[in-house]
Amino acid sequence: MLEVDLRADGPIPLAARFSVAAGELVALVGPSGSGKSTILRAIAGLARPSGGRVAAQGEVWFDADRGVFLPAHRRAVGMVFQSYALFPHMSARDNVAAAMGHVPRAARPAQAQALLAMVNLAGLEDRRPAQLSGGQQQRVAVARALARAPRALLMDEPFSAVDRATRERLYREIAELRARLTMPVALVTHDMDEAARLADRLVVLREGRTLQEGAPQAVLTRPASPEVARLIGVRNLFEATALAPDAEGFARLDWAGLTLETRARAAHGARVHWVIPDGYVALHRRDRPSRGEHENPVSGVVAEALTLGQTVQIALRPDHAPQLPLHFSLPLRVAQRNGVAPGVRAAVSLIAEGLHVMGGPGA
Amino acid sequence: MDWQALWLSLRLAFWTVALLLPLSIFLGRRLAYGAFRGKGLVEALVTLPLVLPPTVLGFYLLVAFSAQSPLGALWREMFGQPLAFSFQGLLLASLIVNIPFAVQPAQRAFEAIAPEVREAAACCGMGPLRRLWSVELPLAWPGVLTAMVLSFAHTLGEFGVVLMVGGAIPGETKTVAIAIYDRVQAFDGAAAAQMSLALLAISLGTIAFSFAMSRRVGRRLG
Amino acid sequence: MPLPAAPLRRALIAALAAFALAGPAAAQSPTPVIAAAADLQFALAEIAAAYTAETGETVRLTFGSTGNFARQIRAGAPFEVYMAADEKFIAELHREGFTRDSGDLYALGRVALMLPQGSPLEMDGTLADLAAALADGRLNRFAIANPEHAPYGMRAQEALQSAGIWEAIQPKLVLGENVSQAAQFALSGGAEGGIIALSLALAPTIAAQGTHALIPESMHSPLRQRMVLLRDASPAAARFYAYLSGAPARATLRRYGFLPPGEAM
Repeated sequence: MLEVDLRADGPIPLAARFSVAAGELVALVGPSGSGKSTILRAIAGLARPSGGRVAAQGEVWFDADRGVFLPAHRRAVGMVFQSYALFPHMSARDNVAAAMGHVPRAARPAQAQALLAMVNLAGLEDRRPAQLSGGQQQRVAVARALARAPRALLMDEPFSAVDRATRERLYREIAELRARLTMPVALVTHDMDEAARLADRLVVLREGRTLQEGAPQAVLTRPASPEVARLIGVRNLFEATALAPDAEGFARLDWAGLTLETRARAAHGARVHWVIPDGYVALHRRDRPSRGEHENPVSGVVAEALTLGQTVQIALRPDHAPQLPLHFSLPLRVAQRNGVAPGVRAAVSLIAEGLHVMGGPGA
Repeated sequence: MDWQALWLSLRLAFWTVALLLPLSIFLGRRLAYGAFRGKGLVEALVTLPLVLPPTVLGFYLLVAFSAQSPLGALWREMFGQPLAFSFQGLLLASLIVNIPFAVQPAQRAFEAIAPEVREAAACCGMGPLRRLWSVELPLAWPGVLTAMVLSFAHTLGEFGVVLMVGGAIPGETKTVAIAIYDRVQAFDGAAAAQMSLALLAISLGTIAFSFAMSRRVGRRLG
Repeated sequence: MPLPAAPLRRALIAALAAFALAGPAAAQSPTPVIAAAADLQFALAEIAAAYTAETGETVRLTFGSTGNFARQIRAGAPFEVYMAADEKFIAELHREGFTRDSGDLYALGRVALMLPQGSPLEMDGTLADLAAALADGRLNRFAIANPEHAPYGMRAQEALQSAGIWEAIQPKLVLGENVSQAAQFALSGGAEGGIIALSLALAPTIAAQGTHALIPESMHSPLRQRMVLLRDASPAAARFYAYLSGAPARATLRRYGFLPPGEAM
């Protein structure tokens, strides 16, 4: 278990608090400048914030109140840097062995070799970093971080410097590796998709503050505030007023004149924000008419239909509120079959289940 | 060819380098990586001998070494000889004069190491001395070597300060640079030319060597 | 991270250790050091060689400006015999207690006008032609030793004053740090001539490069040249000092124009 509680006033403010369980991978996400890297460096012992506490598997690494601060070389922490920071004058094997101060000298080469094999670099042990590709260097960096037998594994945007194909391959390898990792893993990334794919939990940060923690799906479908919603890239973010609840106590919303059914609760009369993820906006399809009633139907005119690969990103201007477009996507095939194109009329259903209500303006 | 003077110059250069080596490494590294109050002042002091005319330096050193000053008096008491006009006085002057040559190239070489590489070393469990030995020196040594070679060559050629502080005593403070001056004054052009050629060859060799080393530093970290 | 003071401390410790090593070897100072005025450059070298041939003992010679040596002696320089081109310096040092006694007069120095080959000036020891050259533009540069601290420079100034051209010649003067350097300047081609020590003008290597004319004694104050043993001189130094007063040394000095007082040129 990695417990992190960091506070600092400036120049980079921090007010972050989260924990990572053994074997869990937590992704720290947020825009540039949100302090993600600083947090990682503070956990590693490379930076010393003014307040807080960091403990890894029972060992206290930092405790401002008690004046405890272990420098990086005294923490069993494995860190994968964004630039990999491999030792240019050492071979891959020696790079990995460099972190094995706790292992008897004689055993180091063999263990280093084994770790490199585990990250699929068998046969390349004698190469220097300059002779390795970006993806290979990254793997050496991971092996080196693991060689430390760390109580926590930290990764600072480890995939940002490689091309897409390599990245996909690395994601798979990390996922495989995870099965064998028993320590908490904290990964910093600015890529929401990457975070959603790799992490067990997300910690959303902004200007050094934790805004929300939770499983990727939970965060993406139920952001805690409009701020988080904007940070994670949800585009269907609107304001509404809560009307009298329905028979089951669920809130009904007045969205610019349209009444919406929800499965959420809100106080009568409150001003709220609501979001609905892409996936919960269902097109009324001409090719496959729906069998049930249409929940929360919205009619309008297609303003945009951008084809990106096999998907079409659509913006629909509702009749009742053309200035508040709804965004959703469709497979190309479906869009074509239903004749969805700019200027064409269309209707969608906002599935109540996916309609998430948050606090009022400024929340 | 004044062999005694040449030998004296070589001894002076050797001891200067030997004593400046630890300073080169530790001060060079500290200035590269430390952010401490007064760092700017230290850097200015390190650069000072480079811009000060040798005679100015020589003058102040002569005052500091003379039997009337505290340092000179203490030395005289301890060793029975004055500090000025002695090999040791020359060595002390040489150490001071060569500080910029000894520290700056080393500092640059340490600075050229990416901070993340040093941080990675720390995350690998290496303490400060281990980092110096296993990571920083292996990457920065060409710079340190350049510093030593420059100091060596500079000492061989040092004239103004030696003249002021030394007294041109054969076997004690008459370096080959002084000897050249002396031979010119004695109208012995042949000897002067011989020694000058020797110094020129050493200087050229030094420059070539330090250029080669800088390229090497670049390649290592590239 | 080492403390800021540690690197300095390390250097000092290493330095002291090294000094301790380098110290004893140098502290022996087996051979005495003779500080001699630059005009004795050639004469003393010969004398020292003869001394070594005769006794097997060596001495170390260092030549320079009389005034400079006096300053260095005051600062504690380890010279053992001091041969000055002007006894005034020795008198001061004696008063201040740096010398064993008041020393011995070894010669009266003379100055000469030295002209390099091809110089437009004429061989005139009275400096009348020099005055003419100054007036008609033949003269660009003229070398003398620095009158501030070199006795030969002072006498050159006096001679030029006697000839009435000291003020006029100021802008053309090139000053040598000592009389040897003045000779250098006079002969190197940068100047049309100079006033240097007679002893230098008589030295074979210099004589070959130009011509000289003796300047009358009446044109300058006497250059009474004195030598002295310094306070902490060793027995070896004393032996050489004694040799300097002996006949062989005197003969050599005479050959270079260093006449004992009383003997005419």
